[in-house]
Amino acid sequence: MDIPVSRDTVSIDESVHYIYKELTDGTDPVTVPFKTMKDVFMWAASLGNKRGERRPIAGKKLTIFRWAQFSSQTDIPVVKAISLADGDDINVLLSQDEMLNLVEEYANAGIHDLRTRLFDEHGQPLWNLVQCL
Amino acid sequence: MHKERLSNLFETFDPAVKNIILGVLDIEQEHISMEKPRVKEHIDEIISAVAKKEIEKLDEQERP
Amino acid sequence: MKLERITIDNFRQYCGKQRVDFAKDEQKNVTVIHGVNGAGKTSFFLSINWCLYGKSLDNVKVIDNVGELMSKEAVNQAAIGDTIRTSVDLAFLHNGERYLVKRTLQGIKLIDGTVNVEDNDSFTMMRTKADGQAERINNPIGTMNSILPVNVREYFLFDGEKIDNFAKPEAAAQVKQAIYLVLKLEILERARRHLEAVATEYRKELKNKSGQQLRDLLEQEEKARAEIIKAKERIYDLHQEKESAERKIADIDKRLREMENTNILQQQRDRIERELKQRRTEMEDVVAIIRDLATSGYYVVAETAIKKAILLLEEKRARGEIPSDYRQQFIRDLVDKMVCVCGRPFCDGSEEHRTLLAKITHGLPDTLQDEVLNTCAVLQAFEQRTEKHRADVDSAMRRRAELVDIVSSLEAELDDVSRQLKGSPLEVISKLERNRENFHADIQGYILEIGSLHEREIKFVKDIAELKKEIDRARREEKREVLLSTKLDLAQRAADAIADMYQTFADDMRGKIQEKTKEIFKKLVWKESHFQDVKLGPDFNLEVIDRYGYSARPELSAGERQVLSLSFIMAMSRISDEEAPLVMDTPFGRLSSHHRNTIAEQLPILATQLVLFVTDEELRDEARQNLESRIGAEYRLEFSPRTSCTEIVEVR
Repeated sequence: MDIPVSRDTVSIDESVHYIYKELTDGTDPVTVPFKTMKDVFMWAASLGNKRGERRPIAGKKLTIFRWAQFSSQTDIPVVKAISLADGDDINVLLSQDEMLNLVEEYANAGIHDLRTRLFDEHGQPLWNLVQCL
Repeated sequence: MHKERLSNLFETFDPAVKNIILGVLDIEQEHISMEKPRVKEHIDEIISAVAKKEIEKLDEQERP
Repeated sequence: MKLERITIDNFRQYCGKQRVDFAKDEQKNVTVIHGVNGAGKTSFFLSINWCLYGKSLDNVKVIDNVGELMSKEAVNQAAIGDTIRTSVDLAFLHNGERYLVKRTLQGIKLIDGTVNVEDNDSFTMMRTKADGQAERINNPIGTMNSILPVNVREYFLFDGEKIDNFAKPEAAAQVKQAIYLVLKLEILERARRHLEAVATEYRKELKNKSGQQLRDLLEQEEKARAEIIKAKERIYDLHQEKESAERKIADIDKRLREMENTNILQQQRDRIERELKQRRTEMEDVVAIIRDLATSGYYVVAETAIKKAILLLEEKRARGEIPSDYRQQFIRDLVDKMVCVCGRPFCDGSEEHRTLLAKITHGLPDTLQDEVLNTCAVLQAFEQRTEKHRADVDSAMRRRAELVDIVSSLEAELDDVSRQLKGSPLEVISKLERNRENFHADIQGYILEIGSLHEREIKFVKDIAELKKEIDRARREEKREVLLSTKLDLAQRAADAIADMYQTFADDMRGKIQEKTKEIFKKLVWKESHFQDVKLGPDFNLEVIDRYGYSARPELSAGERQVLSLSFIMAMSRISDEEAPLVMDTPFGRLSSHHRNTIAEQLPILATQLVLFVTDEELRDEARQNLESRIGAEYRLEFSPRTSCTEIVEVR
């Protein structure tokens, strides 16, 4: 792909880092469902996008993984879909920067939603996650 | 001779202190024509060098 | 410092290059330069000052009221547009090394006859090394300050007009200043002040630090390690207990298997437990599958966006902005060749031509096209994937639910077996079963505790990692602190040492100057029996005491006052051992003849090198004779009114 590569790191707001850790730090899949931060991020972005909520990162930025960790089968197409659905402009596909900014903002809004759904509802986080599907 | 006299003046003091004084006097002499000379850095250098040596000496003494 | 040679080039009334070699032997250390008033003595004197220090140095004005430094004759003779150079170079010896300083000023002659002089002169200082090579000195001002600082020069490069300044009653301040500067009291004072300032800064820096931190951190680390060891030991013990309980259960099971009344039930139990284990493993696997499906299933949530995206891409396609089959380059090639897709040629401006052109201009850049096509294809596949994904999750959840039920019922069966055994009329059997149950409960307890201890261990390991970072930081801080406090100690002690010795030193110096002045004064003034003493008090007044014990200053003749001043200067020169030449301009002008004679005799002995600018009136007869044997070089300044130039002529 000839998309001009600008930055290749994906960042979150430092203040929500603890949620990402909560969701990945542990061995029991039922209480700590996620294996990678990337998965948490994509869920957060998808939830944020579903609710149509975006929140720019206001605090200090923390890099949590790199573009290279996105799978080309699923992650990248979803990123592109979200970007396309956002503004109706297909040129956004040519700017990795723009797409990253977009999904980061959706993820920044959606992460709280994700947390609420998994931890604040009755039941174990994994089953709550399944409910979201 | 004058310089000797100055040097002798500080004989009774710790050699480290003496070295610092003589070093600083040299610096001051070099900058004597200036009203507000920037000597602090030079002085700090001299003191740091002497201090480091002193610390080294103490460390060596402490080893059995 | 011992002057060797000076070369003056186009400086004031010295036209062209002129040279003087100074007398510098031990015996013959006097250079005499004759000249009538106006012949150029002042300029010569000035040239030495200018060469060494320039017009002004660090706000010390070296040359007052200079007028033009460039030789007028040289300016006249130069053509318009020519560069005129004025320079003075001075070779001198100091501490066994030879130095060469040169100062040059240049300017261009303008049409109106004036010179456009450059603002800055150039100054170079070189030192000759042992092997004869000259090396440039990078810090000329600092070096000059070490040899002869600009602010004490007037006590060595000495203007004879000021000869009686120090003996005047109101001269105390000047005397003090002179001693202060020449004897380096100023330097001591500055050193002390600056060391104090530096110590204060160190003290401030040190205050901001805390040494307690490191100790606390190390304590914390120790505690954490101890906790880990405790946890590990406890875990070990618990494992032992668990194993022992498990063994006991195994023993009980064995017995139950062997006993006639119970062996069937026990075999049942064995079987159920085997199956339970299997099912539990299966359940773990299913949960793992559910987890993977759930965490990777977010795209299902994004289906709205995906649908919208697909619509957008399809729209672009429909509008013809994305030729699904054609590529930009292909189309361009066609246009170039004026050939249609089907192979038929077309004419310029024909409909085919216009259509193809439209496809180029309304189409998208190739990269974007690729993007769009690929993305569209992938996204369209998502619908199916979503369905399958949901189906897979559902089936896995159902399987899990099944397994939960199975496990549940198996556990119920186990309970049943246990109840039957417990309820046996045979005491021995029910007791065995009750024990077994207890052991089983114990094991559950151990497992829980082991789990929580592991968590504890992990937490402490993390803590230790954090602590390690902080400890390293604190260690580095401590090192810095130790260095800083040592520096503070040294700086303060140095400042205090100087403060301690300063007064003693100052008094000592004052005393020595007093003695020396007296000694020299006596030598120079032959009415010595008239004077008892020379005093330089703490108030820095230079006093002469007569034999009655009173201040004789009011009775000093003008000449005697001048000699007193001169004695003071010479005393300072000796004591300071700056070892600078005494360059005196018209020193004898105002002295009485007998003073002149004595001075002429004594000066060469008292000074290491002497350069005297004299008018003929000054140096005559006996004075001349007294000086004769010490004269090593003699010159005459000859002024020519025609050229307004002075020529330096060697007399010997």
